[in-house]
Amino acid sequence: MKGIFKFATLTLVTSAVLVLGFSQQAAAAAKPLNLVRGVVGPVAANSSWANYSVLNAIPGAGLIPITSANTVFYLGFTAGSTADISNMVLYTTARGSLTITAATPVKLGGVSNPSINLASPSVCPIVEISTFNPCSVRLDPVAVSLSALNDYYLVVFFTNDSNNSTIGATVPRFPLSSLNGWFIGGTDETRIAVGGSIPAGNSGAQPYFLMYVMSN
Amino acid sequence: MKTVYKFATMTVVMFVVMFFVSSFVFSQTATTKEPPTTTTQNLIRGVIGAVSSDNSWSGYSVENILPGAALFPISSTTTVFYFGFTAGTTADISNMVVYTTARGSLTVTAVTPVTLGGSSSPSINLSNTTTCPLAPSAAHPCIVRFDPTTLTMTPSSDYYFMVYFTSDSNNSSIGGAEPSPAQTSIVGNYFGGTDYTRLKVGGVLPGAGNRAPNFLMYVMNN
Repeated sequence: MKGIFKFATLTLVTSAVLVLGFSQQAAAAAKPLNLVRGVVGPVAANSSWANYSVLNAIPGAGLIPITSANTVFYLGFTAGSTADISNMVLYTTARGSLTITAATPVKLGGVSNPSINLASPSVCPIVEISTFNPCSVRLDPVAVSLSALNDYYLVVFFTNDSNNSTIGATVPRFPLSSLNGWFIGGTDETRIAVGGSIPAGNSGAQPYFLMYVMSN
Repeated sequence: MKTVYKFATMTVVMFVVMFFVSSFVFSQTATTKEPPTTTTQNLIRGVIGAVSSDNSWSGYSVENILPGAALFPISSTTTVFYFGFTAGTTADISNMVVYTTARGSLTVTAVTPVTLGGSSSPSINLSNTTTCPLAPSAAHPCIVRFDPTTLTMTPSSDYYFMVYFTSDSNNSSIGGAEPSPAQTSIVGNYFGGTDYTRLKVGGVLPGAGNRAPNFLMYVMNN
């Protein structure tokens, strides 16, 4: 009977080790992957964003063929101490169309209107943020699986206040990313309903703020 | 002792079963997820952002190059080309092929016909709203999907999608979508006055790419 217990114990311990080991392997597999070619190379700065809507296009034609249930956006800041965002949204259109088929809220810390403390080392580890040391802020994962048959637009409206007058956006020095960006002053373009149209202005310029679009 | 052997056997069997089950289940998650074949995916970075219009293609061979070096790591037994028209009412195509070369070479190693509606010499009615829901323009290019080709692309080859536009008045007024070169991994070129879609295996292409693509906007698995 003693032998039986020994074998039973051995079996249990081995099972536990195996399951734990493979779960680590699975966790490693969930590492962040690029969903589109993001900003590569050095960045410049474009500053003063109070009362501006920043629009960034994620074209379906540029998507890397990876399936992900979530999409995570990373914003790059080059200057400022606090960024006040009034609202953030992700618009979906059919590829090549400007008609919005879906509007998905985008959040940071569970809210769509966060104030980001760029002076906090827990947000920006290198406190003196600059074009050499941009601060990359990871927004909350959005439960949207990007499709190559759609285009997507991340729109962020920066509140009209003094904090936002000093913040700086990353702008790629070289046009190497698959992202496009533009901006519109004086209007909050994050409140467009389904059926509305993406605001004009996309001339194929490189993105503002948006640096990476990843699976995690 | 008999019971001990029973448990020993059971333990060994459990190990074997667990090993195979874990290998199968975790191999599905541990490898980079390859999309299901039913998902429409890009095989290469297509045209992103706004396009301009490049017009008048009567008697031109349009060459669009898919560099093997730019292919996404996705395997597909079919390749589907999408053309973007920005002007015109009818596009008359005399012939369409894809040439395969070794990467960096201009010598043709394979020729694959490309068809639309089963024909390699289609006339595309751009004023038909089922083909083009909106009249073709640079702001609203009309996207035409060609028939799937049975071409499996590999990074060690380059691919040249060659289309010859018939020398006629219809083609004098058609326009092709043209992005800035930085907006895609596809490279273009064109040659006036000669139908370059009739090259055989061993033949040499008239030239490599030197500009942004014309017409070709997307290359997908479906």
